[in-house]
Amino acid sequence: MNPTRDLVVVLALLGASAIVPLMGGDYWIGVGISTFMWVALTQSWSLLSGLSGYVSLGHVVFYGLGTYIVVTSWEVVPIAVALALAAGAAAVFAFVTGMPVLRVRGPYFVILTFGIAELVKFVVMAAEAAAGNASRLILGTPQIETLFFLMLGLAAAATVLAWGVRVSRLGHGLRAIREDEEAAETLGVPVARYKLLAFVLSACIPGAVGGVMALRNTYFEPLQAFDPMISFSMIAMAVIGGSDDLRGPVVGTAFFVFLSEMLWANAPQVYMMMLGILLVLFVLFVPEGLCGRLFRARTA
Amino acid sequence: MIDTLASGQLLFAALALGATYALVALGLNLVYGTMRLLNVAHGDLVMLGGYITYWAFALGGVSPLVSLLGTAVAAALLGVLAYRLLFRAMLGARGTGPRVEANSLLLFFGLSIVVQNLAALIFSPTPRGYEYLSDVLHFGNVALTGNRLAALLVAAALCLAVVLFLRWHTMGLAMRALMEHREAAAVVGVDIDRIQLASFAVGFGTAAVAGALVSMTEQVSPFMGFPFTVAAFVVIVMGGLGRLEGGMAAAFALGLLETYGVALTSTNWRSILLYGTFVALLLARPQGLFGRPAVMR
Amino acid sequence: MSIRRSIFNTVIASAFALALSLDTSLAQGAKPVRIGFSIAKTGIFASAAPSQLNAYELWREQVNARGGLEIGKEKRPVEFVQYDDQSNPGQAAKIYEKLITQDKVDLLLAPWGTPTHIAVAPVLERLKFPMVGNTAASSKLRELKPGYIWFTTAAIPDRIGKELAAMLKENGVKSVALLTNVLPFSKEIKGFLEPALKSAAIAISVNEEYPPDVKDMTALLTKVKQANPDAVLALSYPSDSPLYVRQAKELGIGAKFQFVLIGPTIDFFPKLLGSAANGIVTVGEWSPARNARAKAFYDTYVAKFKEKPDYLDSSLSFMSCEILEQAVKTAGLDRSKLRTAIAQGRFETINGAVKFKGVENTVTKTGFLQIQDGEVQQVWPASVSTAKYRPKTSW
Repeated sequence: MNPTRDLVVVLALLGASAIVPLMGGDYWIGVGISTFMWVALTQSWSLLSGLSGYVSLGHVVFYGLGTYIVVTSWEVVPIAVALALAAGAAAVFAFVTGMPVLRVRGPYFVILTFGIAELVKFVVMAAEAAAGNASRLILGTPQIETLFFLMLGLAAAATVLAWGVRVSRLGHGLRAIREDEEAAETLGVPVARYKLLAFVLSACIPGAVGGVMALRNTYFEPLQAFDPMISFSMIAMAVIGGSDDLRGPVVGTAFFVFLSEMLWANAPQVYMMMLGILLVLFVLFVPEGLCGRLFRARTA
Repeated sequence: MIDTLASGQLLFAALALGATYALVALGLNLVYGTMRLLNVAHGDLVMLGGYITYWAFALGGVSPLVSLLGTAVAAALLGVLAYRLLFRAMLGARGTGPRVEANSLLLFFGLSIVVQNLAALIFSPTPRGYEYLSDVLHFGNVALTGNRLAALLVAAALCLAVVLFLRWHTMGLAMRALMEHREAAAVVGVDIDRIQLASFAVGFGTAAVAGALVSMTEQVSPFMGFPFTVAAFVVIVMGGLGRLEGGMAAAFALGLLETYGVALTSTNWRSILLYGTFVALLLARPQGLFGRPAVMR
Repeated sequence: MSIRRSIFNTVIASAFALALSLDTSLAQGAKPVRIGFSIAKTGIFASAAPSQLNAYELWREQVNARGGLEIGKEKRPVEFVQYDDQSNPGQAAKIYEKLITQDKVDLLLAPWGTPTHIAVAPVLERLKFPMVGNTAASSKLRELKPGYIWFTTAAIPDRIGKELAAMLKENGVKSVALLTNVLPFSKEIKGFLEPALKSAAIAISVNEEYPPDVKDMTALLTKVKQANPDAVLALSYPSDSPLYVRQAKELGIGAKFQFVLIGPTIDFFPKLLGSAANGIVTVGEWSPARNARAKAFYDTYVAKFKEKPDYLDSSLSFMSCEILEQAVKTAGLDRSKLRTAIAQGRFETINGAVKFKGVENTVTKTGFLQIQDGEVQQVWPASVSTAKYRPKTSW
């Protein structure tokens, strides 16, 4: 397994897809935005959960915070600043909650992260209600071509970040933590610091992604911005693609998008059911993910 | 305010809620405790129980309290089927490592999607409802609708029954052994396969009964399950994974929080109170109220 | 592992093959008119969407039974191209982009829900394709650029606030308890209702909000009972409306005017709550007694689906189909002509006349319905009411 080679491949693929706006119509640009969004989210999730084994089921909280920041700062600050703030807010939230949260382990951590996402959702709902809002509408958002390139950039950034973590000491430390946290600590790995760092890094890009999607959807409602299904989908794509591989999120997302498009077009009534069945089959027969199966990668 | 807090009415509401949470969470805790599986399709079993009860009532005029048994058996059979076809292989091959946990999350998620959409396809997504035991009864100055009282009694009884089963019946003791010391249980001669099968059956069955009880007071629809799944997970994690009595305690605690906590603050704070307490508790006690402090692998 | 590998490969291959083989292509006489839309088949709106989809299906059946959609001189059968938007507005926007640019449909119908309509509006404007909306109700809709989207509903929050206050005043209500779910529609109505109540000199003795996943209202309703207002206005959604009614009945809340925002017009509501549902007032501007067309719609809907239509969503959806049908008759399928026809025309529907000003339907009056003896009647405004309002005397 050669992460640097994988990085080049993924970046090349992303770069190649830049011609889509020139060729395809609005629809394919929209598909592109969705695809890049999932690549960015899944890549970020993997760099925490895939490497360290701490499965986060509440990653949508960073996405939702990013959306909220952009929507509330609309026409108050320029978009670039808003997106930076979105990423920053997510990172700060991760930093502040990370320390106590990462002391919790295994399935307790999984449900705890879910609980935190729900808590933040209801806090935002209450805050909005107190301010007299229940939903927000933003008008005059950028063209979809701009959003396409923004999201493409985020997908690339997420991949570079994931690569950076994997090849660094942080990455090796996280893998050691995944194998046996106590042993890693005995061996001198700064366990708490590494976990926190991974947590914060995995939060930045989802924050920015949430911000861009605010511009795409133009409508904000806490219930939708913090939808748990986003968290579940990230995990599904990561596992299907292979969570210990830089190409995993890309493969997983591409597979999902391809499958969605095909099933949608031909069997829209049973689309979701087929997806569910495929997920079940995957877990039973290909638990190491597509990358593990197709490329016969040996675990590091 | 004081008289509201001291009233039997609020207490009844707390108990009714707590009993529902306890019953819904029971099966999930059992399945996790014996097999370390995170059943995110648990709420959909509640949904199925609700549908079976609804159709029994709407088509056959059968009282939900009577069709309870049939519903439980049907769900238990479904559990047996799920275990035999899907989970036995997965569990046998790899034991109970962390990969199984993550994979079981996704496996059940896939199943959940299939079950929900199958239900939508067969029953149509329109919500259904029926009226049963909706007259108001008065005990002193506490007013209760018959169906809520029935739900409370049945749920409490079933929870008690399961606890006693695990304490005194041979099979129950074997389940307990499996939950507390898997390796030792095998050494002592517990038939692991059979116990796991039984756990699935009981787990699925109790969830369906919860659904039957809920259907007396709420509408039934294919996608109603998720909130129950969430509630069940919050309860079992709060109580300590695999600790059945702990889960029940947590369930009642949440019921109290939802009624008394809200009376002391305001209904607006309901969800923030619930999730806030959950998060704060776990941060203070990472293994839940009664969970074992050892690392859960 | 090779056995597993081959099983896996076979299953994946079969899944693809199955998906491809399900491609249904229609070979017919007159070229069908393809009408596209997205519908929430899964997700949080899925339990509400059937009331809309059923109305669409009923309309299509009726049109095709008459020989097809009239376009100028010819009649062409109607065919739907629909996708599941999973209750996700972003997904809906993508679907409409697909319908317009890839599937190249002739006409469009609306998706379900306010957020979905709002997400789709920019797509319609960018691709210059008109669509008559239905199940959307927010004053924010007026902020959308008019021209490619219109809304048939009269249940817009500011109008509801005003009318409800008027109705309360007319029935001698002096004090209300206002319980509001913090979701958009109810919250928005509250924003307009509070000042309207103040102008009508009606006191709000209890004013509380609650989150959408509330499971118990005992504490809240005990407070309401103690305040003993003349009216209780529960601005609730279908998941908490039954909770309110059940617990209000249990605690014996004596207010004679009981208002429940969303829920009473849905089929399951009276079935779940029985006699407790009687006398409850809700928002709605249509009933089968409206006109002959309305009755025909109601009867055929019940006959086909074995359940009652939703008085709000089903009627609005059917109306948007009727409007489309009438507009196409004069303007054909040309989009800019269609746009003009919809914007300027006056249409006859199951809810009487409809005419748009900007995005809004300004002819249909905002109204309220009441369940009386198991039947839903329109009780406000007086000009179109089918029965008189009756105070709720018991649970």
